[in-house]
Amino acid sequence: MNPIRLIAIKERQALLKDQRGLIWLLVFSIVLSTFSLLLISNTELSLLDNAQVVYLLIGTVTAAGAMISVILGSDAFAGERERGTLVPLLTAPITTAQLLVGKAVGLLTAWAVMYLLALPYLWAVGAGGQNLLQAILYLALFGTPVVLGFGALAMALSARTGSVLISLMTSMTLLLFSAGVPLFLDPSLRDSAIGKALDMINPFATALNTYDSVVVDSEAFSYQLLRLVLGVAWLCVTLIAARQAAHKPSFR
Amino acid sequence: MVIFMENIKLSIDGTRILDDVKLHVETGQIYGIIGPNGAGKSSTIAIILGLYVADSGKLELFGETVGRPSIETKRCIGVLPERAGFYHWMNACDYLTWYAGLYGGLKRSIPELLARVGLAGVEMRPIGQFSQGMCQRLALARALVHSPRLLILDEPTSGLDPRGRREIHDLLLYLSREQGVSILLSTHLLDDVDRLCDRIGIIHQGRTVLEGSLSELLNSQDTGNDFRLRMETAPDHTILPKEARLQASIGGWWHLHLPAGTDPADMWRRLMDHGWRIQEIRAEADRLEGLYINMTHTAGSAGSEETI
Repeated sequence: MNPIRLIAIKERQALLKDQRGLIWLLVFSIVLSTFSLLLISNTELSLLDNAQVVYLLIGTVTAAGAMISVILGSDAFAGERERGTLVPLLTAPITTAQLLVGKAVGLLTAWAVMYLLALPYLWAVGAGGQNLLQAILYLALFGTPVVLGFGALAMALSARTGSVLISLMTSMTLLLFSAGVPLFLDPSLRDSAIGKALDMINPFATALNTYDSVVVDSEAFSYQLLRLVLGVAWLCVTLIAARQAAHKPSFR
Repeated sequence: MVIFMENIKLSIDGTRILDDVKLHVETGQIYGIIGPNGAGKSSTIAIILGLYVADSGKLELFGETVGRPSIETKRCIGVLPERAGFYHWMNACDYLTWYAGLYGGLKRSIPELLARVGLAGVEMRPIGQFSQGMCQRLALARALVHSPRLLILDEPTSGLDPRGRREIHDLLLYLSREQGVSILLSTHLLDDVDRLCDRIGIIHQGRTVLEGSLSELLNSQDTGNDFRLRMETAPDHTILPKEARLQASIGGWWHLHLPAGTDPADMWRRLMDHGWRIQEIRAEADRLEGLYINMTHTAGSAGSEETI
């Protein structure tokens, strides 16, 4: 069997059989349940436009997906090292590139599971409103590069530092900063040249702006092409960083 | 020759770790690397496995010069690292089947393999429930799962009870003598080396200070004799020959190393005449230990333990 497939199968088993993987999926479901319940039952939030509710929920799914991706990515090399399972992988007849791709497929699988878990919640809060299908489609199209990109960044740090704690803290800080800027930056500042430039290089802001344009403002796909390119570029840069770091991972 | 290593040098973060390591392992031979903590044994193994690339020197595996071993070369090597880690949610059978897949698939039956390493009947038990000794045996099964031509073992008997150690010794001897598997063994246990190894290399402070067959080395290096003495009071050691070493131990016992050519009986008489109140003398007959201590005797040589 192809080594990439074997590594990916092991990663899938770690997610679905190991208690730690199952706990993260449970946490993800609880976050979505709580958020959906708030959107439907809270007096003020329930007054929100249906499209706004869907927009908020897919933003939350992307953020939670990126967080879990960062946790899994941080474990990718450093966790193997700390468990004493990295050396058997590095001495097996597979290349570090195959190992990395297998791990990345594992991240993609985790994101796919989270995406599927999110669908009923999206249906519950957005059924009957506008642009639900577009929201589901754009979550896949724009959420995937963001989620995988942060996972790849965490994998790069994990391979370079050999420490789950350091890679987790560093990539989580970057994720929180990336997610926090669009939320906490004053709207007038976001409309300035600096704000727009920040939005352009911030993968999370790119995804949120796209969700807003498509789900709330019903803009066409052609307006989102540049953002898609930026999202894919973010994914490529982080994957290259992970490839470089995984070539000589810290194993001691 | 399975492993040919000459003049290997390695620096990590500006610190010289290896400085002239050599190692020669023939087909079917069991080669023991011994040395104090931090001497460079694990770094030497890491170079052979391609985890580090040497700064200079020559490394040949199966007759081919390598920097890092190729995928094909890796297929011929089985590794037991010092830390035997596993995925605890898997059972032994699933884990070995999965790991064998990385080598192109199973080449032997899992129950038979587990029985060989003393783990019969635990195929379906989750690895999380294994004891340390069972994990060590499973790690050996993992190293053997693809029937390698070269086994590289770092502390293979650590965590095993005496019976387990004996079983692993027997298995390694069988693999070497009957199957022609070459084995490179790194260990602190000189008993393992004495029972198993055809050839040894002593590494000290990043250098191979001695290499050869065990019998050759013991015969060529007359290292003197070691004794344990029990005495009531601290003795006056100025009477001892210059090359002798006296070291206090616990409970009134002292270690005494007498250099080659010293007649012990004559020495005891002289010491007693000079007021040594010796109550008991025990000879320490382990010549390999004497050789090892002699070759690695440097004040404050103990460093941090290295692991791969």
